[in-house]
Amino acid sequence: MSGEILLQAKGVTKRFGSLTANRNIDLEVRSGTIHAILGENGAGKSTLMKMLYGVYVPDEGEFRMDGETVELHPPAKARARGIGMVFQDFRLVPAMTVLDNIALAEHGGGFRLRRKRLRERIREVSDRYGLKVDPDAWVWQLDLGQRQRLEIVKALMSENARVIIFDEPTSVLAPQEVEAFLDLLRRLRADGYGVLLITHKIREVLACADHVTVLRAGEVVWSAGREAGWDEAALVRAMIGDKSLQQVGRRNGPHGEPGGEKAPAEPEPFVTITGGVIKGDHGEMVLADVRLEARAGEILGVAGISGSGQRELAEALFGLRALAEGELRVAGRPMPADPRAFIEAGVTFVSEDPLRDSVIPGFTILEHMVLDGLPMKPKGAGIDWRGVREALEASGEARALALADPGRMADTLSGGNVQRMVLTRALLRKPKALIVSYPSRGLDIGTTRVIQQRLIELAESGTAVVLFSEDLDELLALSDRIVVLSGRRLHGPYRTEETDAAAIGSRMLKGESA
Amino acid sequence: MMRSNATAMTNAAAAAEPARRGLPPRAKSALMQAGLFAAPFAAFGVFLLFYGVNPIDLYVSMFTSAFGNRYGFGEVLIKATPILLTGLAAALPARAGMINVGGEGQLAIGALLSTAAAVTMLQAAPAWFGIPAMLLAGALGGAIWAGITALLRVKGNMNETITSLLLNYVAFYTVGLFVHGPLKDPASFNWPFSPPISDALRLPVLNGSRLHAGIAIAVVLAAAVWWVLSRTRLGFRIRVLGANAFAAERAGFRVSRMQLLTLVAAGALAGIAGMIEIAGIEGRLRPTTGANYGYLGFLAAWMAWNHPLRLVATSFLLGMIAVAGNSLEMNSGLPSSSVHILMALVLIFLLAGGRIGRGRRA
Repeated sequence: MSGEILLQAKGVTKRFGSLTANRNIDLEVRSGTIHAILGENGAGKSTLMKMLYGVYVPDEGEFRMDGETVELHPPAKARARGIGMVFQDFRLVPAMTVLDNIALAEHGGGFRLRRKRLRERIREVSDRYGLKVDPDAWVWQLDLGQRQRLEIVKALMSENARVIIFDEPTSVLAPQEVEAFLDLLRRLRADGYGVLLITHKIREVLACADHVTVLRAGEVVWSAGREAGWDEAALVRAMIGDKSLQQVGRRNGPHGEPGGEKAPAEPEPFVTITGGVIKGDHGEMVLADVRLEARAGEILGVAGISGSGQRELAEALFGLRALAEGELRVAGRPMPADPRAFIEAGVTFVSEDPLRDSVIPGFTILEHMVLDGLPMKPKGAGIDWRGVREALEASGEARALALADPGRMADTLSGGNVQRMVLTRALLRKPKALIVSYPSRGLDIGTTRVIQQRLIELAESGTAVVLFSEDLDELLALSDRIVVLSGRRLHGPYRTEETDAAAIGSRMLKGESA
Repeated sequence: MMRSNATAMTNAAAAAEPARRGLPPRAKSALMQAGLFAAPFAAFGVFLLFYGVNPIDLYVSMFTSAFGNRYGFGEVLIKATPILLTGLAAALPARAGMINVGGEGQLAIGALLSTAAAVTMLQAAPAWFGIPAMLLAGALGGAIWAGITALLRVKGNMNETITSLLLNYVAFYTVGLFVHGPLKDPASFNWPFSPPISDALRLPVLNGSRLHAGIAIAVVLAAAVWWVLSRTRLGFRIRVLGANAFAAERAGFRVSRMQLLTLVAAGALAGIAGMIEIAGIEGRLRPTTGANYGYLGFLAAWMAWNHPLRLVATSFLLGMIAVAGNSLEMNSGLPSSSVHILMALVLIFLLAGGRIGRGRRA
């Protein structure tokens, strides 16, 4: 590996509460190299980058530049040291011009704006790297690719910029733009910049990286230069790990060994989508040609890299989002896009963002239980809260999931406790179909196991479960069949016993940027 | 000194959260509440000093004009009545997550419709029938006016804050159109007002004051709104909707229908305020009937954190300040509109202290 060391992380650890997002990370960025950081969602890539850019302070460990220990927090310090970052979610003001957006980030000190000098500098940077950024364009008129180029210009504006961090840069680019982007990275490398590329797309890594570091569960599991030799299979293995094969939780419930006693032959499809086209919040195509069957008594796993249409598909399955085309049926009946109809048909929903979608500020846990959970027991014109509490306590769910005291305000709960609350509620409902997103997010291993067990039992009692998860192990352990979202398509279903983590993983990664 | 007092208040508010030493929290909170109540009067006192008016004398005269005699106290209640009702019209939708600034227009159309009913159909009606009928007409008028906003919100996805505000102007000119035209009193020598309603339709009045039964109606309605919000399934749903619309949608609520219903009910409340102004005070419709009460009610609702029972208190406070404004003009030579400064200060300090009161629930 060539080039001097620009930035070095030594033994860096970052914890959020009980979760260790990064553990003892060592990393080097050298000038004139592209260093790729690979990892699944939740592996700790973003946390690491945010520490390098000074957003977070590490709990342990240090950063070194030019041979001395440096303080990078807050980001202004990191920037002053020559570290720039191109964020995944752009930090731009749409109602302002390109020039003004850049001036916001970088006006070179002093009170006056010095537009003229800025404009010249923007032109200079933009021309040098063929970015074609017009300083006087309005940001709202730019498409995502152009906005990203603007972010890149922003990062390069500073004369002393040496390390540029790219956070999932190609996720917003069309396939033909990706090639141009990779060329840009190569040009930055030629100019002696140290490039840190966060990605989960192996193809890009293979195309341009000089060094690869793979993170899994917050730790560096693999780190090697190009000269050490690598291939796609090795990288996938490093990312996903082979521990999934020896996962203890797999089918330890009365769920049947692979190929063993299989519950009733070919259960009825309960929720079906045929010819489905699902569009995003801005009318963009998210998933086309969706064919999905969730059968009673089965868990259907949905795998995919984050942002592959999971949220939109989940919303469509609960009537929160209308299908642009195609048909959704529940128990054989076509459904309108109205959650009320889905609830009446016995479908229930656990959102991927319960803090936003489910938690009602100023309301107790108990009060949350009657919202698509326990029945709202009437008492005169009011609600018989004592009765609701008794029903909650009589059921085993609250205890099994270690639900917090029902009298507590839900908006004071930690993320894990919120998760317990919404899952308890969903289980209490005894739904005919359960659409559940990321059930184990934010939960400790013990509770995760309990929930997984409950989901299996729920399926066995005849519920159709659609399980969205970013944890392949979880999907493989729980699902009867798995579909994969990738490249605006829904692939599969694949029978769990006929596939493995590697096959699903490469499904998730490929079909993209191709 | 006044200023340092005010600064101390804000500092206390900022420091309240992390460290509470010395006094028990309850006493401290009561002390803060009292301080927050006093602070705007202190700040307004500084303003008065600039104009060479002795604030202490003035506050004393304001106080005596409001509480010194039955007449003054009656005036306070008379002012508080429409403020309370339009306050409810703001508070109820606010609990469902909507901002209704249209109390002004809903009151005006309520006044218009109740007057129209009174002078065209109820002139010969006995009180036991005429007054309830007029009340219903007022409620209907306000409901229709709020219904426009509600439909635009539900069907057209238009922001109810904007539409309700703009409809206030439409309402003002609609009332003007009627009092200049179809509803003009033929005996008015061309003045723009309606014929008087019959005496049977006037609300009963307490002897020795202008105080009428309207305050009782308003307080009963405030209690009813409180009961619905805090004690019924409907109210529970409304509060869920207001606190997290996503959660309401995901719990299968008929969100649009609830929004429509809440806004229409709010309009009806403001419309009743219009009817009370006609039947209690004015006896006929003028272009300016009830002017400003809608905005004062909105203010009162904010000051009460949209809590219907606290709204009774804040309406009373605003009514008191409004009545005191008259004595301000008489005793100090300041324009009576300068009480608006005092009202604004009261609001600002109450909002600043909002964290203290916010934890409580209906």
